[in-house]
Amino acid sequence: MDIVAILQSKPVLIGLHLGFAIIGIDAFLWLLGKLKGDGGSRKSMVITAAIGVGAFIASWLSGGYYYVVYYGTLVKPIIKSSVAPWVHNIIMETKEHIFLFVIPLAMTVFFITLLGKEDMERLKLRSLTVWLAGAIAVLGLLIGAMGFIISATARWGVIN
Amino acid sequence: MNKSKLIISSAYAAIITIIFVVIITIWAELSAPLKDWLKNFSGHHWTSKSIFSVLLYAVATVVLYLSPHTPDAGRLKKTLGLLLASTVLGTVILTLFFTGHHFQLF
Repeated sequence: MDIVAILQSKPVLIGLHLGFAIIGIDAFLWLLGKLKGDGGSRKSMVITAAIGVGAFIASWLSGGYYYVVYYGTLVKPIIKSSVAPWVHNIIMETKEHIFLFVIPLAMTVFFITLLGKEDMERLKLRSLTVWLAGAIAVLGLLIGAMGFIISATARWGVIN
Repeated sequence: MNKSKLIISSAYAAIITIIFVVIITIWAELSAPLKDWLKNFSGHHWTSKSIFSVLLYAVATVVLYLSPHTPDAGRLKKTLGLLLASTVLGTVILTLFFTGHHFQLF
């Protein structure tokens, strides 16, 4: 089995999707802490935001590949025929579409970190940037919780 | 590089992208021909929406950045506030839409 085949396998894809999402969420929570506590240099904030953006892109690509190649044929039929088909119709449908908000939001916060502390204070953007970084983390956590519900339903669907 | 202009351009582009995702998603759920077209474009409707949203965000950011406008601090704050509101509103609208769609309200 070559490295590409390993990366394309279902458990690895799910692991990469979740793992990168956790890194993205943590990065923006970390950035939020730096902004709130007025700690960290401009460089450290730029690096933290860049890690967050990169991690969310990696999570998007790995999760997207899994969703397009495996979810529709293997997982969706189990959920749709389970006792909770609403998990696909409401939770999965909402999750896959609100994920598309994350990258433009994260990129915007990344661009704000390029300003540096003095310019951020002069333009009075610190409080709004805290809210935006928080919104990205909350959106990521919400998407994660939705993913847990979807996985749990698929497991129950198999058992039932 | 004008960083303030880049931020406001990115924020407007993100708002446009969120509005696009909400509209195309709801429209495609209610219109089978549109959903089929999205499926045929890339092989999967979600992949097509992903491609279009990334392209829209990137192109809108570049075009807005190159357009002749000078952002002031007040406008920048207002736009970032609008982006925050758009994110919350977009999430609520899509959740309510798919809930209503599941219960066949529309």
